[in-house]
This record gives sequence, structure tokens and C-alpha cells, in this order.
Amino acid sequence: MKIRGSQTKRWVIGIVAGAVASTLAIAPSQAIPVRSEVGVSATEIVLGMQLPQTGAASPGYKKVDDAMRAYFDYVNSKGGVNGRKIKLVVKDDVYKAGLTISTASTLINKDKVFAMVGSVGTQTHISIIKDINRRGIPDLFVNSGYSGFYIDPKKYPTSFAALGTYVVESKIEADFLKKNYAAELAAGKVGILYQTDDFGRNVVAGFKQQGVIFPAANTQKFVAGSQGLGLTAQVQALQKAGVTLVVIGAVASATAITIGTAAKLGFAPKWLVTSVGSDATTFKTILASQGQSAAAAAFLLTGVISASHAPSPGEDTDEFVVAFKKINTEFNTGAADDKVWDNNVLQGMNIGYLTTAALMGAGKDLTRKGLIAFMEGKGATLSSAALSPLSYSSKTHEAYNSFWIGAYDANSVLKPIGGTRVLNTTDSADGPITVSTYKRPAIAADALPKVG
Amino acid sequence: MDKGKKIWRKNLIKSLTLGVFLFLLSFTFEPYNQGQLALVLMLFIGVLSLTVLTGASGQISLGQGALMAVGGYASASLITNLGASIWVGFLVAVSATAIFGLILGTAAARVSGPYLAGTTLVIALALPSVANRFESVLGGDVGLIVDFGTPPAWISNLIEVGYEQWQLWVALPVALTALFFTSNLMASRAGRSWQAVRDDEIGAAVSGIPVARTKVIVFVVSSAIAGLGGALYGLRGLVGPSVYPVSLSLTLLTAAILGGVGSIAGAFIGTLIVVFLPDLIDWAISGLAISEQFSNYLPSLLTGVLLLATIIINPAGVMGAGHRRKH
Repeated sequence: MKIRGSQTKRWVIGIVAGAVASTLAIAPSQAIPVRSEVGVSATEIVLGMQLPQTGAASPGYKKVDDAMRAYFDYVNSKGGVNGRKIKLVVKDDVYKAGLTISTASTLINKDKVFAMVGSVGTQTHISIIKDINRRGIPDLFVNSGYSGFYIDPKKYPTSFAALGTYVVESKIEADFLKKNYAAELAAGKVGILYQTDDFGRNVVAGFKQQGVIFPAANTQKFVAGSQGLGLTAQVQALQKAGVTLVVIGAVASATAITIGTAAKLGFAPKWLVTSVGSDATTFKTILASQGQSAAAAAFLLTGVISASHAPSPGEDTDEFVVAFKKINTEFNTGAADDKVWDNNVLQGMNIGYLTTAALMGAGKDLTRKGLIAFMEGKGATLSSAALSPLSYSSKTHEAYNSFWIGAYDANSVLKPIGGTRVLNTTDSADGPITVSTYKRPAIAADALPKVG
Repeated sequence: MDKGKKIWRKNLIKSLTLGVFLFLLSFTFEPYNQGQLALVLMLFIGVLSLTVLTGASGQISLGQGALMAVGGYASASLITNLGASIWVGFLVAVSATAIFGLILGTAAARVSGPYLAGTTLVIALALPSVANRFESVLGGDVGLIVDFGTPPAWISNLIEVGYEQWQLWVALPVALTALFFTSNLMASRAGRSWQAVRDDEIGAAVSGIPVARTKVIVFVVSSAIAGLGGALYGLRGLVGPSVYPVSLSLTLLTAAILGGVGSIAGAFIGTLIVVFLPDLIDWAISGLAISEQFSNYLPSLLTGVLLLATIIINPAGVMGAGHRRKH
């Protein structure tokens, strides 16, 4: 017992001595005050982003970061922003909120990012938005249309959207349904499939606000991220309910799985898909993995109705599409599949463009507070590839408030229904739906934003 | 002083010393490593629950993460719905998981080996469905948002405490309590009877140890410890199915095996390895031109290799190797 006692004593003394020594050894370095802004040096601005690069939700979305980096590399090749090169650090969160907490901690505390930009996902962002905001870290151009992130800037003062909210979009889609599919609505032939997170619930809320309430028998849902396990049961239920038009409020991979499954079951309703869930290349990629040929996938996509705040990536005469496509070709260093031009690449480029504009606007003396103040004060004056104006102010951090409705043609290009593009505008609350008169400013010859 | 009191005192001194050491260390670390150390303490409690279950009684669980989830949900429900403090949340988490463990343990006592492992794995896999079925209470697949909050005024008036440091300071007393409790338990008469059941069920029964009841008790204790760890783990920002995936259960098991199943010090060392190994790899490859797609998965790959190497070369883990050398 004596031996044991002395061993314990030595163990205790050793640990305490070690701790005191290490405290003293490191203390002097802590005494030096660091005044510069985190993630900003004379030559560099470090930005962080998280998105699903792998996992069920990754198809399509995993291209956004490569496109953003391509645009930043282009900006860097032109001298950067106020002499600083933009560095984008990306973490894969597999669309799992539990992992998002860890990747955010790494980006904030290890990579010491100045701001988060373009992070993808609603339920993943929910897990970290509070933490990012209380630290005062700018959380720009979040790739989620969940209105709860943006409509109360007092709650999340540093978070700004990259998309129109799902409520705005769904209100406009509901308005379209009421005007074009009134008989189906009246007969209870319209159904919905949505993912059970705030994304899906926001979609349902938008339709409800416009008086479109889906009967229980016509309503199917699934756990976000579980679409890889198949959505056969939900599709069969909709088929059994006899619906002739199905609204899909889910990510792109789920849309493809749903429509592919329906085709196998011989179920061919009209589809109306939320903008973030309708991407032609993602659709074809998923269906190819299910054994469908590109031609068969294109056939299934033809006629699918969707909404957009931007030009279709297939619009080869659009000046933003032309400029971004050229930058993508020259600067995108992602995997061969990840740099194929599509809606996700266009979105990534657009976020790169907007981020550059915001950094320019915040000025040479770049601070987190200065960037947020710029976004609230002048963010709404920024232009982008979108055909809708931005809504940023001190009262809302929503992005785009206008959408046009289109249908995919045989070449998998979203074309305005009726041939003429009509942009409808509304808010995330009870505001009316009106036609937008916004005219998008032209892109500069060097494809860099001009902020004055 | 009798032997029991001496062990109790020795464990108290060890736990407090470790606490003082980590507390002092928190001042020397950058926020990132403070957060990582806090994570070590959270997972350490989970690994301790495996040390009790597998190390002491020989029962195998592949779903310990689900038991952590029970604790997380119990605590988070109380905090979000009733505004309870996190400290009350810990107590409720322990109680709720103990009850859950009693129900599970009663069934588990009837199966063993791979069947028990399979049963616990199914519970871990069923978690998202349960959370979604009771969406209004459990928040569905998104979950319940909770966090460590901020330090009370009397602390923040004295000293500036960062978010990660506060996480560490909250995790520290909780982990030390679990450590102290487990250390005493493993050295107690009850702990020895569990080990007797582990080593030879028939022999234990002949010696008068009620085998089935002992297994249930171990399951209850192990569950309660896991629940405590789960409540703490959820405070990082969210309690939801994606926070307690099957991979969490496997991480706990990996840490236990790497450190040495059944060893409390091994549990700590194993947890340190699984938490800090990715950082070490990051540091080692920082100068190399490796794509993100590959480097993001290198930690998982190397952890797997390390686990296989441990099982093949040194099944007793780090502490087992040390133990052999001593003899």
C-alpha cells in the first residue's frame, strides 16, 4: 500500500508540474495582442464553405464549390480584391447536420476563415447558424431558401441568402397552379412529395399561403437524406391516390429518384419541381445510375415544370451565361464530371460573383462588421446573373424575390411557359404576387462586378 | 482506513488531478484545440460506457451511440420545452437512459455475442425513424437545437471565456464525475462480480452471482453513462439523428479497442487518438498537393487501418500492451 501511495503522489505531482510548465511556456505568446481581422491578411482573404461532396444529397450540389473556386481563381488572376487573393476552404459535411457542427468548428477555429460563403443545405445549416452568428462571422449567400434564416435579421444578423426563399417560390408556383390547373386542384388531383425538414415544410407553407392545401391522401414525405434508400412507397401511394400533378419539394437527387421510380411504375403525372430540386445534369446522372439512358432521362424531364430566378444554363445567348461558361472552361479545376456546365455551376459562379462584389464593397479595410454593414446597407444594389433584384436590407436578409415559371424542353433546357418570360414577385409573408419590372444590369466586359 | 475508502480516495485524487491538469491546459490551447479537448471528454464518457459494458461484463454493443442519443434527447427536450438548465438536463439524461437501459437490458440479457451486437445496432439504425415518428417532440430528422450557452456573469466578469473554452469547462466536471464513478465501480465488489460473469458465466453462477440480473444491471449502468455523454455531446449545437449516427457507435468502439477494452486509461487514450488523429494527418500532409476529395477521407482510412492493425498485432490495445510489459 505504501508503494501504491507514493506512485499516486508522483503521478499527481508530475501532471500538475507538466500543466504549470506548459501554461508558463505558452503564456508569453498569448500576451501579444492580435488586432487584424481573422482570415484577412495583406495578401489573402480566407473564406469557408461546407456542402455535401459525398452522400445521397451530393449529386449536383457538389459542383457548386468548384464553380465558386473557379470564379475566385479568375478574380485572383486579375489581381484579387483590393490586392488580396481569395482562398476558399471547403469541407464535406455529407448533408449530415452532426458532421456540419464539426466541419464548421474546423473552418472557424482551425482554418480561421474570415467568412462563410455559399454553404449548402437547410437542415445542415440549422445546426450551426446560431453559433456562426453569435461569433459575428459573416454567413454570406447561404444555399438554402429556408425563410427562417433570413426574415428576422435580429435573430441571425450575419446570415444572408443566395436563393429566393422557398416560401416566395412556392407562393408563385401555387399562383401558377391556380391559374393553369384549377380543375385538377378542384378535383383533388394534385399531390405533393416533400422532405421532412424546414425546406420541405417551407414549400408546403408557401402553397398553403396561397390557399393550396394538399389532401392527406395526396401528401407524401420522406426523411431528408434517405432518398438513396428509394422512394417507391411514396410514389406508389401517390399513384394509388390517383393524382395527376405532383409537386416535389426536395433536393435534386430526390426529384430524379422520384420521377425515375414513377416511370418504372408506369405512373406519369405532371411534375412541378422546386428550383433547387430541378437540375438537368443531376437528373440525368441519377437516372443513369439507375440504368436509364441519357435519351430516356431527357424524355422523362421533358415537360417538368419548375421555377427559376436566373436564366436557364442552356440559354447560350445570355451574357452572364456566356461569360461564366468561359470562366468555367478556363479556371474550373474540379473533376471532369464536376465542371460540366449546368445550373449548379451557374449558381456557384453567381455566388463567386456576388461574394467578390460584397468584398469589394466592404472596402480595403476589410472587417466582418464592415462586410455585414455593406450587405445590409448596399447589398440590394448589387447585380448578378439573376433576373431578379436582391432584397438585402436591415429588415430582411432574403436574396431574390422574383421567379419565372418554365418547363423543360426536349433539349433539357428550362423554357418559359407560353414563350414569354414573366417574373412574378412577392415576399415570404402575406404580400401579394405582382409582375416584376426589374431589368438586370449588363455584365462588364471583364466579367468582374463593378461596385461603386 | 479500509481498502474501499482508500480506493475511493485514490480515484478522487486522480480524477481531480486530471481535472486540474485539463483546466490549466485549457488556458494554453487555441480555441480549436479547446473544442477538440472538449470533444474528447464527451466521447470519453461514451467510451467509458463501453468499458463498463464490454470490458467489465463482456457484452458487445454496436449501438452505444443510440444510447447517447436517448440521453441527448431527454436533456434537449427538457431544455428546449421547459427551459431547464443544462445541469438539470444531465440528471434527467442519466435517469432516462437508465430506464431505457433497463428495458433494453432485460431483453439483452436473453441474447449474447453477435445477437446482442445486432440488437443494439438495430436500435441505432431505427433512431431516425423514431425521431421522425415523434416529430413534434423530437424535432424529426432535423432535431432539437441546444447548446452550451454562455458562462454565467460571475465567471465572464472575472475572465474572458471563449465558446470552446466554456464547452471544455462544462464538459470537464461531467467527464470527471463519470470517470470517478466508473473507476470506483470497476474496483468495487459489484465490478468484480461483473468481471466474473464476463470470464465464466457458469463459474459465476456457481459462486452465487445471479448472471441474468447482473447483465441487466451492467446494461443499466452502461446506458446511464452513455446517456450522460450523449447529453453533453448534443450541446455542441444539435440533438438529432445525424448527430448520433451508427458511425458514432463505431467510433466509440474503435476508441475502446485502440486504447484497450476494459481499461479506463485506455478509454481516454483511445478517445484522444480518434479525435486528434485527423489533425495529425492534416498536419502531416499539409505540405503535400493532395486533393480535398482524398484528404477529407484520409483520417477515416487511416483510423480503419490502425484499428485493423491493433486487432491483428496488439488486440489488447495501448493499455493492454503497457500492462503486458509491466509483467
